[in-house]
Amino acid sequence: MAARYMRRLFALWCMYAWLDLMWVTRSFQSFVLYFCGETIVAIAALSSTLLLAERFNGLGPWSKPQLIFMLGYAALVFGLLDMFFGFNVLFIGRRLGRGQFDHTLVQPQPIWLALLTDGFNPFGASGPFLTGIILISWANSFLLLTPTLMWLFLFVLNVVSSVSVVLSVSFFWGSLAFFAPRAAEEINTPLLRMFDHLKLFPLDGLSAGMVSGLLTAVPVGFIAWYPCRALLGLDSAWHAPYLTPLAALGFGLLASKLFIQGMRHYERIGSQRYRAMGHRG
Amino acid sequence: MRLLLTRLRQYRLIAALEATSLVGEDSLFIIQFIFRFLRVVVLLSLWRVILTGRGPTDGLTLEALLTYTLIQEVFSDQLIPRTDIEWALHDGGITMRFLQPLGLVSQFTAQMVGRWAFGFVFFSLPLLLAAPLLGVNPLPANLASGGLFLLSLTLTIAVGVALEFIFAALLSYLEGSAYIVSRVRTAITLLFSGAVVPLALMPWGLGEIFRWLPFASMASAPLQIYIGVGDPLLLLATQAAWSVGLWWLARWLWEVSRERLVAYGG
Repeated sequence: MAARYMRRLFALWCMYAWLDLMWVTRSFQSFVLYFCGETIVAIAALSSTLLLAERFNGLGPWSKPQLIFMLGYAALVFGLLDMFFGFNVLFIGRRLGRGQFDHTLVQPQPIWLALLTDGFNPFGASGPFLTGIILISWANSFLLLTPTLMWLFLFVLNVVSSVSVVLSVSFFWGSLAFFAPRAAEEINTPLLRMFDHLKLFPLDGLSAGMVSGLLTAVPVGFIAWYPCRALLGLDSAWHAPYLTPLAALGFGLLASKLFIQGMRHYERIGSQRYRAMGHRG
Repeated sequence: MRLLLTRLRQYRLIAALEATSLVGEDSLFIIQFIFRFLRVVVLLSLWRVILTGRGPTDGLTLEALLTYTLIQEVFSDQLIPRTDIEWALHDGGITMRFLQPLGLVSQFTAQMVGRWAFGFVFFSLPLLLAAPLLGVNPLPANLASGGLFLLSLTLTIAVGVALEFIFAALLSYLEGSAYIVSRVRTAITLLFSGAVVPLALMPWGLGEIFRWLPFASMASAPLQIYIGVGDPLLLLATQAAWSVGLWWLARWLWEVSRERLVAYGG
């Protein structure tokens, strides 16, 4: 059963990748504008912290190369989110609030499989992802990391966990659109905008209460700050590299619970709204 | 005189409609203000981490920088004004604007001002009141700075709205994506305007270059005046010059691209 789903998962990813490639090649001008635009946005967003790091030769306990690594990590996480969860899968409140979830429900496959594959656009949305790879490579040329197999495993585990944390929190808040479609249609926008802004700054100078809040209520610290502290050895506790994966698990469970509750509500009530814009399904 | 009063009443009605529709369309709007408040707290703490223990850096003390950051957030809607005209081009709503017996610029400006109302009541005022709790002095450097700031803010809005129409004209001329144009514009404006990092603190002399770009007339100029840094007359003159130049350019570009607007899908 599991093997069948895995085959299906890869088949769907390949199909959506092909569709994305078709879009890139059929409308090359649109692609270039979109790709360059997203890359400019990603670089401009990182620039504030980069400029400050250059001006002050680091920020607090973070050296310049360590900050570049953190920025690269953050860009990588949001790049992966853009590549795998585009077309408003990440902004799930929009799909639910606009009454577009029926597009997913009528498909002859599990909902999780549809949500995991539906937004895959590996070519069009690769700008921020590539920016992240370049920044991490650049940081590594200063940091001279000699990654062991274990370190690489922890790096990949933490990146996937950071992606899961953002996705889970987005689904958690977005699930409110099951209950209040109109009011919560855009609820993911301010949340993700705040994540996008705050992921770029080290949180070391905040009070303990604020840091706790930014690792629990609004877990922006798990997007880049905390995992990078662990991976770069700024936090020497043995459990540091495992905290982000644990957080991902916890937030994932919470989001699943609320999403399933929302689904039950939707089964009874349905949606009286429908807006045709902004989906692929 | 009567015509002017009628016009003002019409603009006020547009602004009121926009302000109330915000609550109707997005009743959870208060959440975005909570998220914005969190962002301010983090930014303030970042400046403290960077500058605590240092003397004035490029003429900026920690206290002045905290005020700069706080006031930037309080007036962020006015410092980076957005009319959302690109979305009216995107969804074809621009055609309805042409049918209304009011100028295009005044319609979009009135709508923009209406959108500011709730932000000002639910975010800007509470943030100003909470400033002492955040350890920030929200007052201008002196009374004159406060007065000149208001004048500068008006010029900022003029420059910002002109840039909106320039980008909108280019969007309709080049038939680009409203989504990407909007994102790119916001990103480069935040960087070049000194809204997040004051131009004086930028490395490699970038601030010296950026201060002559129109974006610097948006956030940097009024905020510098507010905290009493820089020559206010020069800053105001630069803003006025950009305002005149950009409105001339916006008008010309709009004339040139107006015919293509029909083809764009309106």
